[in-house]
Amino acid sequence: MKLLVIEDEESLLQSIVEYFTLEDFLCEGAGSFQQGIEKMEDFQYDCIILDINLPGGSGLDLLKYLRKNKKSEGVIIISARSSLDDKIAGLDLGADDYLTKPFHLSELFARVKSLIRRKYASGSDTLEINHMKVDLLLKTVEWAGKQVVLTKNEYDLLLFMLTNKNRVVSRQAIAEHIYGEETDNLASFDFVYSHIKNLKKKMKEKGCGDLIQTVYGLGYKLSI
Amino acid sequence: MTKTLEQKNTRYLLIWLPLVLLVGSILFYVMLVFHAHHMQEKQLDLKQANIWKAFTLHPESMVLHIAGEYDIDADKRIRNDLPNQPRDTSLFDHEKKQFVEFAILTRQMNWKGKPYGLTTYVSSKEVSHLIIKVFLAEIVILLFLLLAIVLVNRRSSQRLWKPFFLTLEKAAAYDVVRNPSMHLDSRTGITEFNQLNHELNELVEKVNTVYTNQKQFVENASHEMQTPVAIIRSKIEFLINDPALTERTAALLADITAANERLSQLNKNLLLLAKIDNNQFPQVEQVNISLVLEKILENYQQHYENFPALTKSIQPQITTVANLSLVEILLSNLVANAVVHNIANGSIHVELDTQKLVIANTGNEVKGDPEQLFERFKKGDDASKTTGLGLALVKQITQLHQLRIQYKYEKAEHRITVFFN
Repeated sequence: MKLLVIEDEESLLQSIVEYFTLEDFLCEGAGSFQQGIEKMEDFQYDCIILDINLPGGSGLDLLKYLRKNKKSEGVIIISARSSLDDKIAGLDLGADDYLTKPFHLSELFARVKSLIRRKYASGSDTLEINHMKVDLLLKTVEWAGKQVVLTKNEYDLLLFMLTNKNRVVSRQAIAEHIYGEETDNLASFDFVYSHIKNLKKKMKEKGCGDLIQTVYGLGYKLSI
Repeated sequence: MTKTLEQKNTRYLLIWLPLVLLVGSILFYVMLVFHAHHMQEKQLDLKQANIWKAFTLHPESMVLHIAGEYDIDADKRIRNDLPNQPRDTSLFDHEKKQFVEFAILTRQMNWKGKPYGLTTYVSSKEVSHLIIKVFLAEIVILLFLLLAIVLVNRRSSQRLWKPFFLTLEKAAAYDVVRNPSMHLDSRTGITEFNQLNHELNELVEKVNTVYTNQKQFVENASHEMQTPVAIIRSKIEFLINDPALTERTAALLADITAANERLSQLNKNLLLLAKIDNNQFPQVEQVNISLVLEKILENYQQHYENFPALTKSIQPQITTVANLSLVEILLSNLVANAVVHNIANGSIHVELDTQKLVIANTGNEVKGDPEQLFERFKKGDDASKTTGLGLALVKQITQLHQLRIQYKYEKAEHRITVFFN
């Protein structure tokens, strides 16, 4: 999978590129409007991660340029401007998703994965890893052929962990993924703990071993 | 007690003008009497001269006594110490059977070696009557004057102060957040008011500029802070995936993460406040408060393992016209507040009807002014758990939707009420 990240903050750009490279993406970075245009003209990408505030122009103009030239790359906007107008403008211009800074890399990764699945996984709506089989349309999970009945939150959690498998995902990232903006007011991460606990219990009942490990109270890791 | 300008002015006039007029009329009276007496004296003098002339021309045919006119007494010496001044006396009028006031003047005359006492009379009645009539007329005129001055003064001050009251009205309607445009006319026709309005216009302009700058600053600062927070977050995500992670570094990382999350949350809330200030939530719709409230309560019960015991009486289908996001923020902040500032084994009571929303929770009393709780960064005792912006957001949102909010502490319970009307 080829990915282009257009972000002027070098340190953040580097983090994103590194994260996706670790996940076997072919990832390139661009630090300005001009660089972004050049890369977009020269190469074909599967997905573009786009910042709005760029030196030399607005990311929204890049998006316009992209769509005018009939390029069909999936685009995810990452912006410090979380105002609804920006969000609507971005989506109207043909962005596929919108993420407000500060975001978790695991969340960005999950969004990119989901976008790529939607855009390129023609026909196949299931995710199979080991004995785990997830039907993305019906939102059902099977372990070794046996159905695991999960609540919506547990399903979201599992899919998120599965997308970020074999990585430590922070509690905050999980909380934000499940409850979105509302985590603003949640000083407690009790619910992440209880969801994980329930999920583990249900998986264990179907004969799945120690699927999710706790990492020093920082987060959780799904090993598969 | 304060009074209006007009009342004050009228009062002032009504106290001092009568006093001035009283002194004036006393003076007038004294002068009137003085001049009347002077006139009488002249009359007496003239009469005396005429009678004496007539007597010395025809002493035989002259009647010596006419009551109320004159007396000529031959061989009479008048005491020298008698003042050469008119005196008052009264004579009995036999026809009218009453005493009549006269002014008399007696002088010592000498004719052909013989002394004569000559006394002339002038009736005082007419003069006294005239004095009284003139004086009364003057009183009437003065009273009329008093009334006219007060009325004219009221009218003229009403007209004079009209620009001032206009200014006052506009200044009262001014609000740096909701109604920042205040243009005062600087051509009122009165120099001082022109000046006042001009100065006020400038002042308001300055205030607005400062306020806009401050809003802009908060928004920009929050935006600028988001990128570093995002960078820290991304680096932490790498660190927690480091295979060389030890328990000690993990503990440090957990603290850093918590601090960074708090920073991020603070930032989000500040940005939200700035956005509400900047009116960036203009779209309103019919919001079903009952539904939103139930959903939020359910979410929070899921979020917290030890959610306090909840009792609720929520009427269904309570709706209001508002911005949905803001209503959600308002309700979730209130609920979060009730959870965070609770005690162990505490409780929460939620009530919603057409009139009001009540959220009450057990908790320790807050020291200091409870009003301050709604100010930014004013925290209760559980300071480390909160950003100090939750209730500030609540206040801002209620203000925007013109709702009244009330805080009370009674029976060991914090009780926040939002009135819808």
